Amino acid sequence: MRVLVVEDDALLGDGIRAGLKLADYAVDWVRDGEAARLALLDHQYHACVLDLGLPKKDGLAVLKDLRARGDALPVLILTARDTSADKVTGLDAGADDYLTKPFDLAELQARLRALIRRAAGTTTPFCEHAGVVLDPATRRVTRDGQPVAISGREYALLHDLMIHKNRLRTRAQLEESLYAWGEETESNTLEVYIHHLRKKLGADFVSTVRGVGYRVGDDS
Amino acid sequence: MADALRRRRPASLRRRILRLVTLSTILTFGLATALGYRQALVDVQELMDGQMAETARLLLAQAQHSTNHLTDLPADMASMRGTKARRGELALEFQIFRSGGSVLMRSARAPALPLDGGLGYADVAEGGTDWRSLTLETADGALRVQVAHPARSRDKEALEIASNAALPSALLLPPMLALIYFSVRRGLKPLDDLAADVAFRSPENLAALPAETAPREAQSLVKALNRLLDRLNAALDNERRFTADAAHELRTPLAALKVQAQIALATRDPQQQGHALAQVLVGADRATRLVEQLLRLARLDPIVRLPDPRQLDLAEVARASADEAGSAAAAADKTLRLVVPEKPVAVSGDPDLLGVAVRNLIDNALRYTPPGATVTVSAGLEHGKPLLAVADDGPGVPTEELHCLAERFYRGREASAEGNGLGLAIVHRVAELHGARLEVENVEGGGFAARLLWAQGAEAPD
Repeated sequence: MRVLVVEDDALLGDGIRAGLKLADYAVDWVRDGEAARLALLDHQYHACVLDLGLPKKDGLAVLKDLRARGDALPVLILTARDTSADKVTGLDAGADDYLTKPFDLAELQARLRALIRRAAGTTTPFCEHAGVVLDPATRRVTRDGQPVAISGREYALLHDLMIHKNRLRTRAQLEESLYAWGEETESNTLEVYIHHLRKKLGADFVSTVRGVGYRVGDDS
Repeated sequence: MADALRRRRPASLRRRILRLVTLSTILTFGLATALGYRQALVDVQELMDGQMAETARLLLAQAQHSTNHLTDLPADMASMRGTKARRGELALEFQIFRSGGSVLMRSARAPALPLDGGLGYADVAEGGTDWRSLTLETADGALRVQVAHPARSRDKEALEIASNAALPSALLLPPMLALIYFSVRRGLKPLDDLAADVAFRSPENLAALPAETAPREAQSLVKALNRLLDRLNAALDNERRFTADAAHELRTPLAALKVQAQIALATRDPQQQGHALAQVLVGADRATRLVEQLLRLARLDPIVRLPDPRQLDLAEVARASADEAGSAAAAADKTLRLVVPEKPVAVSGDPDLLGVAVRNLIDNALRYTPPGATVTVSAGLEHGKPLLAVADDGPGVPTEELHCLAERFYRGREASAEGNGLGLAIVHRVAELHGARLEVENVEGGGFAARLLWAQGAEAPD
């Protein structure tokens, strides 16, 4: 799961990035509206945490641009502006959620989980397939009721595949989802993680679509 | 103590008017009565003198005509009937005598007035009583008649006449005073209404008072009040906006503190924990600085003029500030240059506040320039007017943003460095208090300069 954080305050931006990384998100952090616009054009994110008072381009303008392009990316506005009118303006500009500073890291994480879940069209908070259950709130994975030890990256990959159950995920999509900027790794690491997942969850849990990508569940 | 009490109670306009009008009315009334009494005295005197003259002539004629029967005259007069003696009737006494001094006859209670006095009217005292007398004599001078009546009866008469005239007015005095009281009350009602309008206002209601309905005498007061309300309104608006902005600005560092602390608690990686805790400290320092700047502005805001200005040397202020900032500049890999004249640049002001201003300007310059930049702090005279300036050779500020720089919490669209946007607002306020103006501009050839320019020429050093 890759998230874009747009926050001009160095201390807070650093904190949000660290906090989301703790929850195994791949986090890109930009500090002005212009950089946010470019990042949103160039990359596929699962969610965006957006501050409003930004240098170069206001957060609301960034959001309106995004929606004008028809991009349905879940956006959570995180701002110090706390009046009802501010919230209405933000939500009406296309935001999916609104959180005011100061906030709880746990709440930000929970809201992001909910946003990502809704964007994927799932109703239950759990992802479930073939006896494997993934709980995004605790980041625990069980297979037939038995807990499965799983690393951060493996979890992130599994979460992506399960939330897009029955849908093809290309290699590029999965790599985008796994790595933030500056985290580019060798080309075969994705295969290594898939291999680990198959070992832990069963060889046919993840199917390979040769030359294109991977899928959990049936071809639909 | 009584004095203090009296001083503490404000004078009542209504009571004052009432007192003055009542006193004037009573005084006028008293004066009218006194004048009436005086006039009555004169009138009564004339009347009585006339009666005395008539009586004296009659007596003299009678005496001349028949000296023989004179002895019977008093008895005859006393026996006359037909009417009771009226109150105003004169108690006339008389004596008739020869020019030699021998008394021919006298009324029963005639006073023993001297007989050798001159002719005509006289006021004489005899036997403890004041008398008014008239002496006439026959043409041959053989007989004289003296008629007299006590002055007391005349005074009594005059008093009676005057009292009769004054009594109705005296009776009218109380209703008149009541009328005055109600008139004054009614006349001052617009003032009471105005006072009530002000008194029953809630503190939030700072709308102007209705000037059209106020009496003309109160117009200037109402207008002055309205001007004051206007200023108060503006000040309150400013305050509200500032408080809201300040609360808003505090949220971000607080949010950062909270997130970093939560990460320190949540992570199992000791390196990440250390980083998060260090960030908590940085955040606490930033919040502290923000609060300090806010407090400084809040303290400077209500001041109209410097409380305790003294002679100081701007070169000294520049030097002290540059010294203080020296290590910070070195740590940021920037050069701090000091340019001051040898002669002192004397102004009157607060060296601490000016120091704060220069430090803020230096902090800004250090914050918004790349490593290796040079920051120049200078003091001196420009066209004979004192000047304090901080300039750098950094990237400068976009021209369209120059005029917003001194606005509170303004940080600039390109700003990537940490700042709370209050520094220049404080410098601006300090400049205002010193009768100087803050000028910000991009320097030709790159860089940004902020200058405090005094409006007045340099003051001679002591």
